[in-house]
Amino acid sequence: MVRVRDGQVETLAELYSRHRTRLFNFFVRLTGNTHLSEDLVQEVFLRMLKYRHTFKPESRFTTWMYQIARNAHHDAWRKARHETAADDDESNDAQPLWTSQSAPDWEAERNQDVAILQEALAALPLESREVLMLTRFQDLKYEEVARVLECSVSAVKMRVFRAMQELRQSFRRLAGKEAV
Amino acid sequence: MNCDRAKELFTDRLAGNLGDEARAELNAHLEKCAACREEQQGLEALWTRLSLLPELEPSPAADRSFATMLRGYREGLDQKEQAPGPGLFGWLTGWWPAQPAWQFAAVLLLFGGGVVAGWKLGPGRAGSPGSEVAELRQEVQNLKEQMALALLEENSAGERLMGVEWTSRLRQPDEQVLSALVRTLESDPNVNVRLAALDALQPFVRQPLVKKALLDSLPRQDSPLVQIELIHLLVEKEEKDSMPVLKALAENRDLDQSVRQRAWWGLSKLGV
Repeated sequence: MVRVRDGQVETLAELYSRHRTRLFNFFVRLTGNTHLSEDLVQEVFLRMLKYRHTFKPESRFTTWMYQIARNAHHDAWRKARHETAADDDESNDAQPLWTSQSAPDWEAERNQDVAILQEALAALPLESREVLMLTRFQDLKYEEVARVLECSVSAVKMRVFRAMQELRQSFRRLAGKEAV
Repeated sequence: MNCDRAKELFTDRLAGNLGDEARAELNAHLEKCAACREEQQGLEALWTRLSLLPELEPSPAADRSFATMLRGYREGLDQKEQAPGPGLFGWLTGWWPAQPAWQFAAVLLLFGGGVVAGWKLGPGRAGSPGSEVAELRQEVQNLKEQMALALLEENSAGERLMGVEWTSRLRQPDEQVLSALVRTLESDPNVNVRLAALDALQPFVRQPLVKKALLDSLPRQDSPLVQIELIHLLVEKEEKDSMPVLKALAENRDLDQSVRQRAWWGLSKLGV
């Protein structure tokens, strides 16, 4: 990223190929929408170019990347909500733009257990999904997640615990049994 | 240890951050507290189960889209770096005072200078030879306008091109002529005529009517050539209002690749 910051913007392609899949899955699990997630990945890399001067070499690249990713996601979410509200003013049959369901093209949907897990995740509040995605799948330490979420480390731990409790409740409800 | 402390240590254990001492402390609590034990076993099983979630790959179209964005951005940066200095306008703004009081004084001075210059150099009273020349000029202007408008309505593309050319002979085209040019740009079946209309509109981009028409027309154009020229013009005139339209074009995967790349180029030049 230092090279990108110093003007070699084409080296961003290396960072893209290294982080695109993980970032894409981060967004897919937050939005449940693969097309939107691809757009968001691109938006993150565009913002990296735009704000490349703000990157500090002493900070970890992934922390910075997820800060941008989170902002990009929040902006898109706000925009979608705003547009849905505008549509609602005009017609009553407007479709929700932000799906709370998993994308239909999940390969593992055949596996019922995994499908329920995905649905349980999708049913969580955005804040809970976000903290779980960052701590469980993105290889970030709690200290780094705290920087991304702009809160204390103990707040991150508390949010993780609460999110896991919510996930468990949701999973049990959907599985219709004392699954975990 | 209380249950809240056990929860904190549990999250450390999930992340693999629990030291020996803390682990012993947590285990001791779990042996005594059945509620915590049951809950933590369930949560840990679920945490493990999350690894079953599949990892998806972005589509090849997304990779192509990224490559297009990066190329366009690089090109825009290169041109920005090669651009000449601030020019006459920059030089003049450098002289413009920063203090509002001095700005006001400068405006008064310029206004006074304008009044004196107008009084000394302007045309004489009505009925003088100066005003007759002005009337004659106006008549010629009207004639050219009528000619241009008539030609723009012709069936032959060659004649419509000539009509566009006639508009450029007008010293200050009125709204009727600009609207006719906008209509030509929007709907003329011939790409060359549309390009000529765009060229003729170039000096008037700052006029709200023209600016709005260009911004509306950009996504609607079916010719990549016209779209690219439109992008060039808007970027050259530093029309920041065009950024949302450019962004929508850049992200539209159904669009011609060269138009998308040009849109990214434009965004990078306008400062995205």
